Amino acid sequence: MLQPHSFLWHYLWLGPHILQSVLAIFLWRRGFNRLFPIFFTYIVFEAIEEFALYGMDILPSVDLKTWWVTFCAGLIVEGSLKLWVIGELLGHVLHSRPTIAKTGTRLITATGAVLILLAIVAAAYAPMNRPQYLWTYRAHVLLQSFYIVEGGLALFLFLFVAYFKLTWSRQFLGIALGFGILFCEHMAAWSIMATGALSYSHYPLFDFLNMATYHVCVLIWCYYLLVPQKVPTTSAVPLPENDLAMWNREVERLIQQ
Amino acid sequence: MNLAIILVIAAAVALGVILRLAITQSLQAKRNAKETPNIRPIDLQAFQNLIDPAEDEYLRRRLPTAEFRAVRRVRLRAISSYIHTAGHNATVLVQLGESALATGNPRFADAARRLVDDALVLRRNTAIASVRIYIALAWPDSRFAAEKVVERYEQLSGSAMLLGRLQNPAAAVRLSAHG
Repeated sequence: MLQPHSFLWHYLWLGPHILQSVLAIFLWRRGFNRLFPIFFTYIVFEAIEEFALYGMDILPSVDLKTWWVTFCAGLIVEGSLKLWVIGELLGHVLHSRPTIAKTGTRLITATGAVLILLAIVAAAYAPMNRPQYLWTYRAHVLLQSFYIVEGGLALFLFLFVAYFKLTWSRQFLGIALGFGILFCEHMAAWSIMATGALSYSHYPLFDFLNMATYHVCVLIWCYYLLVPQKVPTTSAVPLPENDLAMWNREVERLIQQ
Repeated sequence: MNLAIILVIAAAVALGVILRLAITQSLQAKRNAKETPNIRPIDLQAFQNLIDPAEDEYLRRRLPTAEFRAVRRVRLRAISSYIHTAGHNATVLVQLGESALATGNPRFADAARRLVDDALVLRRNTAIASVRIYIALAWPDSRFAAEKVVERYEQLSGSAMLLGRLQNPAAAVRLSAHG
């Protein structure tokens, strides 16, 4: 079953992208494309890219090098879009909190710079064992580099939100969670392939793992973006009596000083 | 191989943290808003005395260097615990302010927004102050200023009071009764 070009392979390659095309249509109809335009652009681009790559893969006239060059070109656009989505998520978290917006922007810039340096170091240490698969190697190293940066930034985003006890809407939490899982799993899988830690015969298993993870992430996005949230009854939490008395005492003391 | 192991472990740790934080965030959103947050009291006067540079200078002049460093480290640890408590209180007030904002009541909106802003800045300042304390623990002779934390804490007290009065006008009467 777990063989390249088995039924499962075809399903895992096409299935999530058909699903995300449907998701894009629903998002468009609900006007969500205006709420998160970069994420919307990403899912549309990703679906088109994967359908094109799938078509090229089954066409006998397309040679291996052409496929991998197209894959790398798509990867650069896709990777850039993913980084923009992270920026979009941070922007959403910070837009109503101007007091920490500058701090958040500076911190994510610094984190990004450190992660890029780490990705460069990791790429430099990736061995090139098979010169005949040069483009495959380049694609793997590129993927490893992108996912080190993206995984690190996703982690930063979650830690930043948790540290400041910020809240983000259900839709943005779903997008961030999907990407968080995707980036971390892909970072692990592509680093194993880029560094040649396991033999080439194991690679199809990682392809299955990557495709299955992507499928799970698309399902997470569908759940968070399409299933309506149960609206909880919100009432303001009053300052508890004891705490209020304590605040009062503190303020009185300050006034008296 | 070593590089792959490091990256796989890093990815697994990152995934674990992300999942945990996402679950916490979801639960937080679902949790009943009536849960009582827990604010821990801070003795601001004692805190101000601890961070007073004049007191540090006095100790520096009166004590032998080795003894001064030991005393300074003890004082820094005490400051650290005050700052930690201030940071905790700031997060509680962020949640209170956010819950007041979520109600959409225009009567509380301005006060709640101000409370959230002040609490977020205090939270940021406590993080910076904590880093500086760890540096000062390594080099006890260095100067350390935490006035910003105290100033912001005072400002936050005002914001919390304002929101508290708006939510519970009876409490405002009690303020004058205490005085």
